[in-house]
Amino acid sequence: MVNFLVRRLLTGIAMLIVISTLAFSLLYLTGTDIARNLLGDNASVQAVELRAHQLGLDQPLISRYLDWLGGAVHGDLGKSWFGGSPVLDLLVSRLGVTLSLVVISTIISAVIATGLGVWAAVRRGAVDRVVQILSLGGAAIPNYLIALGLVTLFAINLAWFAPTGYTRPTASLGGWVASITLPVVALTIGCIAGTAQQIRSAMIDALRQDYVRTLRSRGLSERSVVYKHVLRNAAGPGLSVLALQFVGLLGGAVIIEQMFAVPGLGSLSVSSTIQGDIPVIMGVVVIVAVIVIGVNLLIDVAQGWLNPKARVS
Amino acid sequence: MRRRTLALGLVGAVLLAAGCSGQGGTSTDSTAGGSTSALILGQTDIPSTFDIQGYASGTKTQYFTAVYDTLLRQDGTGKIVPGLATEWSYDDSRTVLTLTLHDGITFTDGAAFDAAAVVANIDHFRQSSTPDLSNAAYVAGETVVDPTHVQITLSQPDPMMLNWLTQPLGYMSSPDSWDNPDVATNPVGTGPYVLDTSATVVGSTYAFKKNPTYWDTSYTVYDTLTMNYYADQTALLNALQGGQVDAASCSNYSALSQVQSAGYDVNTSQLDWQGLMLLDRDGAIDPALADVRVRQAINYAIDKAGILTAILLDHGTVTSQIFGPSTAGYVKELDSAYGYDPAKAKELLAAAGHANGLTLTLPSTAAINSSLLTTIQQQLADVGITVNYTDVGTNFISDLMGAKYSASWMQLATSSDWQTATFAITKDALFNPFKTERPEVDALLTTIQSGTDEAAGAAAQELNRYIVEEAWFAPFYFVDNIYVSKPAVKVTMAADMVIPYMYLIQPKA
Repeated sequence: MVNFLVRRLLTGIAMLIVISTLAFSLLYLTGTDIARNLLGDNASVQAVELRAHQLGLDQPLISRYLDWLGGAVHGDLGKSWFGGSPVLDLLVSRLGVTLSLVVISTIISAVIATGLGVWAAVRRGAVDRVVQILSLGGAAIPNYLIALGLVTLFAINLAWFAPTGYTRPTASLGGWVASITLPVVALTIGCIAGTAQQIRSAMIDALRQDYVRTLRSRGLSERSVVYKHVLRNAAGPGLSVLALQFVGLLGGAVIIEQMFAVPGLGSLSVSSTIQGDIPVIMGVVVIVAVIVIGVNLLIDVAQGWLNPKARVS
Repeated sequence: MRRRTLALGLVGAVLLAAGCSGQGGTSTDSTAGGSTSALILGQTDIPSTFDIQGYASGTKTQYFTAVYDTLLRQDGTGKIVPGLATEWSYDDSRTVLTLTLHDGITFTDGAAFDAAAVVANIDHFRQSSTPDLSNAAYVAGETVVDPTHVQITLSQPDPMMLNWLTQPLGYMSSPDSWDNPDVATNPVGTGPYVLDTSATVVGSTYAFKKNPTYWDTSYTVYDTLTMNYYADQTALLNALQGGQVDAASCSNYSALSQVQSAGYDVNTSQLDWQGLMLLDRDGAIDPALADVRVRQAINYAIDKAGILTAILLDHGTVTSQIFGPSTAGYVKELDSAYGYDPAKAKELLAAAGHANGLTLTLPSTAAINSSLLTTIQQQLADVGITVNYTDVGTNFISDLMGAKYSASWMQLATSSDWQTATFAITKDALFNPFKTERPEVDALLTTIQSGTDEAAGAAAQELNRYIVEEAWFAPFYFVDNIYVSKPAVKVTMAADMVIPYMYLIQPKA
């Protein structure tokens, strides 16, 4: 298990370096005059050259990247070109918001999708068909349309929730729950749909195995068979798809945060992209990559724990 | 297992109840009955920096006029009124402007606001590379006369100078703050509000508190001011429909009825004209356009009212002139100088020797409504003018300035006569790439630049008539600029700015 963990960790670090290198190169090799963009059309050539020098844009790309990497390793992701705030501070102030959306959505999705998937696989028939139709519908409707519908119904027509904004839990726990409810529901529906389908298929496969018949013949209760034995075997594919859904949720959060004016990483990435604030964009790329790699590592560990055979693959 | 399920269910119910009752955490209590306790504004832009060397006008204006006072202000009609300066006067040559300053005002860091601070600020601005640098294009120097008097010397008369002092050139920040490491995020001014950095989420929500020592008691300052940034138009519309903001810009005409239904008042001004610029008036690359009859034919060929209805849902005023309604040069009857008359257009084209038609190449870009471009193409084709569009992407402005196209669609600001002239009429105007020059125009421009207000106004009207007669442009309409506000808030639209300055937003009496 330790070897397995070390191997996965090293792979993760290598991936992080590759991702950051690619992102850095893409951002700086677009051919745009970064200093000119920052200073505007009225800036003199001298002012543009000075700014380019201050930002190190006159240095070779490789030395700029190594400088950035050196800082990043020590936790220094540079400063925003607009406003001068340390990138890490900006990321930290936004990270909690996005993670609360995505993690809560993932947990809710996992619970509901497992329930639906198991229910459909065990009951089959009409229940199965209804779950399949709901899953198909949930997966087919884009989350921004769901968000729009939720806002129109629950925020504007019924006034149960505020249509936009975010309240920090430290300011008001009730306010925080209210402010994340609609974004979480908008994110969750598609995630439930995809995950429930996977769990249903895995459960149906597992229920057909010989060992299930053996367990039943030993007189184990159906609940014990389904939840203690079959679900554990079927959990692997479910976990894999949940990891993928988590990554998808991070992407979905960009749109949802914009729609609900929630100050998370998604809205930060959009505003910094519009402004061309490369240090912040790089920070967002790195932090999202770390989260995605970390989640995949956790899923690998969980898979290994559930199924020792997975550790050698 | 069952007990755990029950517990989870209870937690869920509690959270749901908290959610339903905790709405007050995110929604905002409207300023009822003109209350001065809190004002919440929706914004469609964020400040890149609070340093006045950064970009500080246009849709970023309110962030800056919350924390910085300007030397001068303007009322809703565009009339210049006192700000930090109580009086102002020009010398006879109109190149030396003397300002008398309020005495005894301090910046929020305790530094004194005086003539030395004004000189330092204007100098600081001129040394910068702000996109607003054109504010100071004619400023040659600044001099401290005494602590309450300052002189600004111009290289040539600038009829816009007083306006510039109501805008970024006129923002006054504490010179002591410029070396602060947080100068970009922690502004220090004399303004009505102070940025509450602890409650501000940069790029999302900007929180302000009333400046406890604010000097100007002539208008009301709210106890707290919050500016929420909406990058997404749908989010802004939702916030308006949910009553979460007291006032905001609303450029989505199709949603305006929904916003009104949610209880908002609509405030309108007209700052820009939209239409075609017929640039190659001497026929440098397109000889046909050198003939005034061809240019007039283009004016007659366009169904402006139809396009206004189709594209802008009637949120504008049909016109044939480029001098805006709030300027001295505006002549009402010129709005109808060129009606929709395809027959007359064909007649003029035939008289100009183009009975078999002619071809124009216009630049296009994704930012321009494609239906609009198609409609223009169709209506000009109806009179025999074939329009070919070339997609120039992000090079739209640079290609126009580079005289690569003889004509183009454009939206231009027209909030003062001199601005209109320097944007589109003077020989060196940004949008006079073919350097069209006429002696009669030059004479009128000289009067507009250097004459008294009355003489300049009369010259602007005469110039306007000439430009319309000569069909230098084919304007379609003045565009409504809309700012919505709750009934408890009194908004006065600025004559030269897309959103109202902070001092033009008041609790209703």
